[in-house]
Amino acid sequence: MSTLLQVKNVTKKYGGLTANNAISFDVAENEILSVIGPNGAGKSTLFKMIASFTPTTSGEVIYQGERISNLKPHIVARKGVVRTFQETTIFKSMTVRESVVVAQHLRAKASLAGYFWGSKTAKEDVTAFEKYADELLEFLGMSEISNEQASNLPQGSLRALGIAIGLATDPKVLLLDEPFAGMNHDETMNMVNLVRSVRDERGVTVMLVEHDMPAVMNISDRIVVLNFGEKIAEGTPSEIQNNEKVIEAYLGSVDDEIGM
Amino acid sequence: MEQILANGVYLGAQYAMIALGLTLIFALMNVLNFAHGQMYVIGGFVTYTFYGQWGVPFVLALVMSCVTLAILGALIERFLFAPVIKGSAREESTMLLAAGIAFFLDAVILLVFGEKQRGVPKILDGVLNWDFRIIMPYDRILICLLAILSIVAFIGLMQYTKTGRALRALAQDRTAAQLMGVNVDRYSMIGFALGAMLAGLVGGLLVTITGVNLGMGGPTSIKAFMMVMIGGAGVISGAIWGGIILGFMEAIGLALLYQYGDITYLLIFVSLMIFLAIRPQGLMGKPWG
Amino acid sequence: MLGFTSKQLIGVGIFLFMIFIGVPLIIGATGRWDFYFTLTSVALLAIASAGVWLTFYIGRINIGQGAFALIGAYVSAILVVKAGWSFWISLPAAGLFAAIVAILIGMPILRLRGVYFAMITLVLTQVVTLTALALPITNGASGISNIPLPSGISVFGIPILPDFAGMENTKLAFYYTACIIMILTYAALYRLVNSRLGHLCRSMQQNEELASSIGVNISYIRIVIFAISSFFGGLGGAMFGSIAQSVYPSSFQVADSVNFMLNCFLGGLGYVFGPMLGTLVLYFGWDLLFEFGKYQMLIYSTILIIIIRFLPNGLLSIRFGKGGDK
Repeated sequence: MSTLLQVKNVTKKYGGLTANNAISFDVAENEILSVIGPNGAGKSTLFKMIASFTPTTSGEVIYQGERISNLKPHIVARKGVVRTFQETTIFKSMTVRESVVVAQHLRAKASLAGYFWGSKTAKEDVTAFEKYADELLEFLGMSEISNEQASNLPQGSLRALGIAIGLATDPKVLLLDEPFAGMNHDETMNMVNLVRSVRDERGVTVMLVEHDMPAVMNISDRIVVLNFGEKIAEGTPSEIQNNEKVIEAYLGSVDDEIGM
Repeated sequence: MEQILANGVYLGAQYAMIALGLTLIFALMNVLNFAHGQMYVIGGFVTYTFYGQWGVPFVLALVMSCVTLAILGALIERFLFAPVIKGSAREESTMLLAAGIAFFLDAVILLVFGEKQRGVPKILDGVLNWDFRIIMPYDRILICLLAILSIVAFIGLMQYTKTGRALRALAQDRTAAQLMGVNVDRYSMIGFALGAMLAGLVGGLLVTITGVNLGMGGPTSIKAFMMVMIGGAGVISGAIWGGIILGFMEAIGLALLYQYGDITYLLIFVSLMIFLAIRPQGLMGKPWG
Repeated sequence: MLGFTSKQLIGVGIFLFMIFIGVPLIIGATGRWDFYFTLTSVALLAIASAGVWLTFYIGRINIGQGAFALIGAYVSAILVVKAGWSFWISLPAAGLFAAIVAILIGMPILRLRGVYFAMITLVLTQVVTLTALALPITNGASGISNIPLPSGISVFGIPILPDFAGMENTKLAFYYTACIIMILTYAALYRLVNSRLGHLCRSMQQNEELASSIGVNISYIRIVIFAISSFFGGLGGAMFGSIAQSVYPSSFQVADSVNFMLNCFLGGLGYVFGPMLGTLVLYFGWDLLFEFGKYQMLIYSTILIIIIRFLPNGLLSIRFGKGGDK
């Protein structure tokens, strides 16, 4: 598989605090790659830099051979690298369907003026968007709630909505920020299958930040581990599970006295 | 040069007090008290009434201003702001309310105090003349000192008393303060009353120097906003800096630019807009967004 | 037709009838000619308020429309008086100039949000007033007076618009003009809100970051919307100058900016026609209270406070609940 995205020596400093230090790794096309690490490891900051919502202090992110770091966020989104948000970030007073329709606007063929005057192209766009929205919602198993106001949805559906919005832009790379957060076992399994089918059936490369270890091990092709802003390991789930540094990072160092 | 400094300190101290009141209210309730200028005017008129008309000793008249505004502030918070904040879907409603209250207070001032400019007899005669390098009437110096004292007292209150700590907690995080047992409703009221009182106190102090009239409310509010914007909304030190900076800018501007007419404030405004474009959170404000 | 329900079309029809035929009849019958001025003012202020409403649509509280109204008034006055232009051409020119100023100022300040943006727009109004006082071209404190009434327009000798100076009833003419512009403004607003641009604005209003993440160029759209809002402000201001036949630095002040905001809030920010209703209620209310002399402001502000206290979501929320997009 070819390399789609490269994180090259990305560093982020906030004043004296180093959130990320010279992180480098590659993401292959069509893979599911997870970024894990204890709290405060710098995972979300890294994601924000990849989607260019935060500037890097040094280093760059290359996507399809082009630098995308430090560009305006909407430009990166237009290039096909789209992120979802950790907090339940949605369009509060839009319905599920409306949100997914709005999210497709990038693919509109008619101009803004065309929409204002109600041109034929504009009308065709709207029909296409609504059709695609319905299709997408069905794919994600959200058809029943498509007319619900986003603010009325339970947590699990909100996460799905976030993914729906991200998917509606027709991305090549989807950055999911803690998609399984706050979910029970069943909901997590559902989401895992969903994310997997997003990659399988829609050919999207997926990157995740997550804390839910079983889910991560289940779903990832490869994993990158961060701790205190540094990359400490990279590899397949089984490699990571047996990696000493990773175990140490999560459990703390071995306690000689207890002899464990 | 020293004259400009002296004028700057004098103006700065007054302005800092006004800014403090406004920023306190903003910190507590995220509301821009549009009526702040009107509260200042009311303070001036109350002192005028007690000291100028009824011959009550000056300090007592000041106290009356403080009390009046504190009560007014408390009532406004308790019966108007608190319910609107709770009942509204949008935060703009409180801004709307503040505007309405500003209009209301203007009307009240008109009816109770009339539209004439009022002044009071000087509280201290004589002028300090230091070698002609600094010329400042004694009463201004006194007022300046009183203002500085009040600011120090206010900071002391905020830092070292239980009330002050509760207010600071409330300003930082409403929910956390509640969880720590702070009676959020009561302290919101106290905080607003305190902010109003500060405005009234300055009004009372300045009526002895510049007098007071109905029309001063609006422009004073705008100056207050500017100071808060310079220093950073919701930050105490920011308010003080904002007041001082505006005071100095005014002093410098008036001294150097008077020949060009009234462009001092125009320049101040324009610089403010440029400054905010570069640093929207003000000097000490927390970065947001 | 046109995708509206018959109920909506009837509503619009009645509204238009009232404005163009009903009102003149009523005024003629009751002899209250001063109402023409009142209603004309309402129409023009509603145009400016529409601009403020639009800025709110991208999530910014705009208390600076007075600045753009003043700019528009001055530009039109200067063009007519000093450059001899026809009023009808100076009108869009005034709007355009205001829009350009908005773009220039908007670039730095539109990143600010919430109260910060509100505060700086408040300052803006004051700045424009002071500038008007200071510039020679605006005649400083004396302002520009004796502005001639709008001249007629004829194309190839065929009169399209009559010359106002030769009219018997200029009040009626101004009234009709103001109403037409107001209707056009709100029609444009309605269309915009229901178009893709409107969707993008709504997405920005609700969550700027999320909008960014789906590729919305938020800085660009903010500036475009702010420019359109200010265009409306300039338009309203220019017409006002024409009616009053004079423009002074005090023609539009901070209080006016605040009033435009009030009009929007009162009418309800969720409704396109909110500002129209809000302006009508507030302005008419203010005018009607004139009889109370010095108690006017007291009663007015008391009512205002009561309304805000008990209807914090605006007047239209009585019928429609917390907010919609019609």
